[in-house]
Amino acid sequence: MALNYDYDETNETWPFFLLTVLLMIIVPLTISQIYKIFLQKDKNESIEDEEKKNILSKLNDKYTSNEIKEFRDIFETKKDSNILSWKNLIIIIGWISIAILIQRINSNDAIIDAAKGIFDPYEILGISGSSSEREIKSAYRKLSLKFHPDKVPKDLSESDKNMMEETFVQITKAYEALTDETVRENFLKYGHPDGPQSTSHGIALPSFLIDSTSSLVLVIFYISSFVLLLPYFVSQWWNKTKLYTRNNLHVKTAGSFVSRLVNYKPSQIATVDLIINWLSYAEEFKLFYPDLTPEDFENLLQDHIHNRDSKINGKDANMMKFRIVAKCHTLLHGFLEVCCGFRNLEMAIVCMDTFKCIVQGIPMSKDSQILQLPNVNEEIFKNGSIDEIHTLGKLFTFDNEKIGKILGIKDEAKLSETLSVASNIPQFKLLRADFVVPGEEYVTPSSTPYISIKVLVRSAKQKIIPTEKFPTDLLKESDDFEDLKNPFASMEREPLMPTSFAPKFPTKRRNTWCCLIALQKDIKILQTPYRLERLSLSNLSKDLDKRAIKELGPDFNPEDWEIGFIKLPLGQQAPAELGNIYMRVVIKSTDYFGADLDLTMMMQVREPPKVDELKDDIYNDEDSDENASDDEDLEDDSEDESDYTDIDTDTEVEEDEEEEKEEETK
Amino acid sequence: MTTILYNQNSKLIKCEDSDLTETREISINQINKLSAAIIAESNPNFTPQPNDEHSKMIKSLFESGLAMLKQKKMPEALKNIALAVDMAQRGRAPYEAFGIQLQEIQFMLRHKIDLSLITGRYLDALQDIEFLMNTGMNQADVYIRKSDALLKLSQFDEAKICCERGLSLHPNETKLKALMLEINRRLAEYNGDN
Amino acid sequence: MADNSTFQEGFNSTYSDNFNGTFNGTFNGTYSNNTNGTFTDTEEKVETIPISFYTPIIYAVILIVSLIVFARRYKESRLQKLAEQPEIFDEHDAKELYFELKEMSTKEKIHEKVLKAALLNRGAEAIRRTLKLKELGPQIELMYKNGSVGEDYWERFQAETKFVEVEFRDTIQESENLQPGWPKMFAALCQEICFNQALSRRYQSILKRKEICIKEWELKLNSDGTLAK
Repeated sequence: MALNYDYDETNETWPFFLLTVLLMIIVPLTISQIYKIFLQKDKNESIEDEEKKNILSKLNDKYTSNEIKEFRDIFETKKDSNILSWKNLIIIIGWISIAILIQRINSNDAIIDAAKGIFDPYEILGISGSSSEREIKSAYRKLSLKFHPDKVPKDLSESDKNMMEETFVQITKAYEALTDETVRENFLKYGHPDGPQSTSHGIALPSFLIDSTSSLVLVIFYISSFVLLLPYFVSQWWNKTKLYTRNNLHVKTAGSFVSRLVNYKPSQIATVDLIINWLSYAEEFKLFYPDLTPEDFENLLQDHIHNRDSKINGKDANMMKFRIVAKCHTLLHGFLEVCCGFRNLEMAIVCMDTFKCIVQGIPMSKDSQILQLPNVNEEIFKNGSIDEIHTLGKLFTFDNEKIGKILGIKDEAKLSETLSVASNIPQFKLLRADFVVPGEEYVTPSSTPYISIKVLVRSAKQKIIPTEKFPTDLLKESDDFEDLKNPFASMEREPLMPTSFAPKFPTKRRNTWCCLIALQKDIKILQTPYRLERLSLSNLSKDLDKRAIKELGPDFNPEDWEIGFIKLPLGQQAPAELGNIYMRVVIKSTDYFGADLDLTMMMQVREPPKVDELKDDIYNDEDSDENASDDEDLEDDSEDESDYTDIDTDTEVEEDEEEEKEEETK
Repeated sequence: MTTILYNQNSKLIKCEDSDLTETREISINQINKLSAAIIAESNPNFTPQPNDEHSKMIKSLFESGLAMLKQKKMPEALKNIALAVDMAQRGRAPYEAFGIQLQEIQFMLRHKIDLSLITGRYLDALQDIEFLMNTGMNQADVYIRKSDALLKLSQFDEAKICCERGLSLHPNETKLKALMLEINRRLAEYNGDN
Repeated sequence: MADNSTFQEGFNSTYSDNFNGTFNGTFNGTYSNNTNGTFTDTEEKVETIPISFYTPIIYAVILIVSLIVFARRYKESRLQKLAEQPEIFDEHDAKELYFELKEMSTKEKIHEKVLKAALLNRGAEAIRRTLKLKELGPQIELMYKNGSVGEDYWERFQAETKFVEVEFRDTIQESENLQPGWPKMFAALCQEICFNQALSRRYQSILKRKEICIKEWELKLNSDGTLAK
């Protein structure tokens, strides 16, 4: 083997090197781009189709103001211009250079020569690969007669003579390669009858770069790329990743949120306005509009909520407002996470209320559920003679004509649109909630349970269906092997939620339910919020108008209704001690008022069953089914019939106070 | 930086800057309260021992309130007890033992809350209950009163949350269970689901 | 002389033969492979590139100086960044007020007990902050570890924990200056004051909370606090 490395003098290697590198980059890029252009388009179209079918999405488009559509055109079309993006440019250039390289390789004699140096005994003897030994022998004899040095005509020139000799040697070698054992072995092992051939190791750089004149260029290129550019880009990338937190919050924003909560005193009361004030200090806004102050941002956000046109220094600032408002989505999710980090449930709940206010563009009030509907005349509604209507459910106890009067909507078409928005906002009816340990009958000490909530997604217009109408086996936890292995997989199979009715929000969005879990003992949040983005809303279109149906008749079939399974992973194990633990689960919608669920659950940690080891599996399984339903009944009625007594707080007041006081000093 | 002014006679400090922040104002008030208390104190090595004179004054005011209660003069009773609470907050020095101050105010507030509820001042009662809860009171009766106050203020969702929490801390409390039924009934009506 | 010459000759021949023989035998046999390769190579390089005595020194100096400059710049930028980080606590009113009063006392007569009051207030605030940071420490550490909070903030937070400790020690020192032998009682007083102040801040906030409730819930109240029908 040669020990010294040569540069690629004959341009044999570097085109291959370059070709490999180029193909490695261009081929995956092309595939992904093709996938994006063709398959994504399909997906987009199917989403559009689905949107056309969904009433809320359709109405959302209808009620979106032209100004917001304009904003969307500016900020959302960027992704659509697929054909002339820089990625495509790179792909085109890449393929052109690949073509040039191949052309070059084909026209390079050195490469062809090198390829010719490959030893093929069959070709030399002029026979096919499947020839028998006899054929080989006869071919060899014929050729050796022709090229044998003794048979060479005397009048040939020296070079021709050498050629002939060379050919004869080759023929002999080829023959031996096919007949002689050791030579044959050499051929098979090293590809040549003489044993290992010299391999050349070189640096795949074209020789013209090594010439004395351009070597300086090369050195500068090396230094600049490895000493300057590479560290520069790596540090840039690193700084950028360090600049944003896991939730895509700018680190400064995250820091300011944390500081707000550190400085938060009980004398400040958590309100939507307070959170909007905190949001307005976000670094993201500053990066968008460096000349504006937090006060400006706060005004813009308040303008959005109070449906006012924005002006900054006398100039129209609505486009700015839209950009700021659209960014709030990320900020609020980030803030929610910080609230959960502080385990502050009160703040997290207000954060979610702020989310709704910003998405719907209305202030927080007891009538928010009604005011999120389109076409409502606030003045007529608030001064209306009928009081005590604050919820969608209450609204639907009146007939359509009356609702028109209450909301101050005279136009019939508009009223029906308002009503279809109202009846398509998803609401929850809790059917059952359990702590489930996969494969266990109930929660045992130190097991890993998850929360399983069964809800009926319903419309405010529908008659409430009591839980008893659903037979228990409809509400049973699936005991499929797959579901036991990964209980959360079933949630992934649910459809994505449709685009929300939020015409005042600058971008199209989908509703998300953020699920918070807190201990009832100290109302502190246990874990980071779980975002529920998929849930079937098919029940909303079912007709069960509460004004028409007074009593659920015998024709009611629970199988017609789709039961929503919400499974929330718990970040902690069940405690090692036996006892009851109460948790509060808060499921809050990011988009709609009145679409929340707030429930208390009891986790009963019990002694693991003393199973006879001789019992076989089948028997055990049956047993567990029965027990599970018993157990769930117990948990359902926990509020009414638990003989568990709490700690007598009176005796511990003194200590408690001291402890609480420390917290209190915040 | 704001500038503060010192009054030689009253020995109080104040700040008249327009950009006075809320926290600074609180801090100034705290210093003034402390100065007044220390100046009234003759012993230079004063201790957190509660001041007997203060205790006596507060007690007598509170008891006069209870006397009114016995005579069924609710508004007057409420007034006197509220005064006693206020007195305990204002009159006592900030360095008097915290444990005793806390117990005292909690005890008096419970009476005040009951009177507020009887006289229909639900919001006042609610705020006082929240004060109690934030200072570590978790007894069932606190939850009963809070749920009731919220119900009266038509905050049904809040009432339900409060009642559920009360029940999870005191699962056997029959009054809370009864309240829960009432809340659920009102909530169904509120949501038009009855 | 002839004798001598033959002797010489004989000596020379035998000696040289011997010498050459043994030398070549041993030396070439064992060392030739190595020496031939490396030794000649280095010799060639020395011949082609004459390196000045100072070259390695210059190289080393440049390297070390550039490293030092980089390290210093890096440290400076980090410190600057830390300093740029907004403070954890919004204000230092208690501390500032005490120093303002202390400065004023050099110009005009300020009652000694007012200074004590300001110092007690400062001590109480320091205790409140210590408790607060101690309580939040694990939570913020968790947030830093799962990436919800940036590294700079976490460093700032740790620094703040130390500042608060120093601040409390300072106030105790100061109490000794105001009244010799006071520090022990001072610390106990501060603690009571800290809790009592928290209690009274809560109490004071009742009114404000009430107003916000009225606004949020759109309540209509009579002047005596009962619900308006």
